[in-house]
Amino acid sequence: MIVYLLCFALFLVGLYGVLTKRDLIKIILSLAIMTYAANLFLVLFGYQKDASYPILSEGSQVLAMVDPLPQALVLTSIVIELGTTALLVAIAVRLFQKYKTFDITKIRRLSG
Amino acid sequence: MKHEGMTLIVKTISRIIVPMIFLYGAYIILHGHLTPGGGFAGGVILALGFLSIFLSYGKSFTMKWLNLKFLEEFEASSILLFIILGVVGLLFSGVFLINMLSKGDFFHLISAGQIPILNIFIGIKVGASLFLVVYALSQIKLEGEE
Repeated sequence: MIVYLLCFALFLVGLYGVLTKRDLIKIILSLAIMTYAANLFLVLFGYQKDASYPILSEGSQVLAMVDPLPQALVLTSIVIELGTTALLVAIAVRLFQKYKTFDITKIRRLSG
Repeated sequence: MKHEGMTLIVKTISRIIVPMIFLYGAYIILHGHLTPGGGFAGGVILALGFLSIFLSYGKSFTMKWLNLKFLEEFEASSILLFIILGVVGLLFSGVFLINMLSKGDFFHLISAGQIPILNIFIGIKVGASLFLVVYALSQIKLEGEE
């Protein structure tokens, strides 16, 4: 149970960063922390004590394995997160090009 | 002449370590059906090898020996080959991406039918496209820059 609470605490760290920081790069990093927490939460669902990783290797007698399904899903989620982070960084660079700042309180007027 | 890239220390270290990064990425891709890893993870490692050259030697030096047009077509053709392999399975036995090669013995490098081939295609795709993402981000011109 304690690991789920710690995972939720990690999610809250990311949420705090998104809500309070003013720098766009810090907001993107906080979003990344939130997705890490969500991925970790999904992997923790498949965790079993004293179980090995779900890959057969030569000469190993495996009795218990962790659930491979959340891990496969999380791999897809990591790929999507990579794409969204690249898109966010591209938007942030374009905003810097227009407004010469990463401070979101200063990005307020339309700029041509 | 303007000083390109980082200092001599970084350049020397990256010259030593980048071949090892490429070797490790190729190992991860080729052993994707045996050990943890596979096409995506190995492709990311390959892209990081390219990026360490890109960061330490600078943009113009990297683009001198890396043909951008070829890289883009390489990236697009790898996923095309993946689809062709799937459609060939569809034509031969009515199931998309069905295995047509010998499955081989357990825990050998040449085993698991088509999966290593598909891993290689995914590795090329991920490596090239991740490098192109960072290159595209570096191409955005800021005010006052050349």
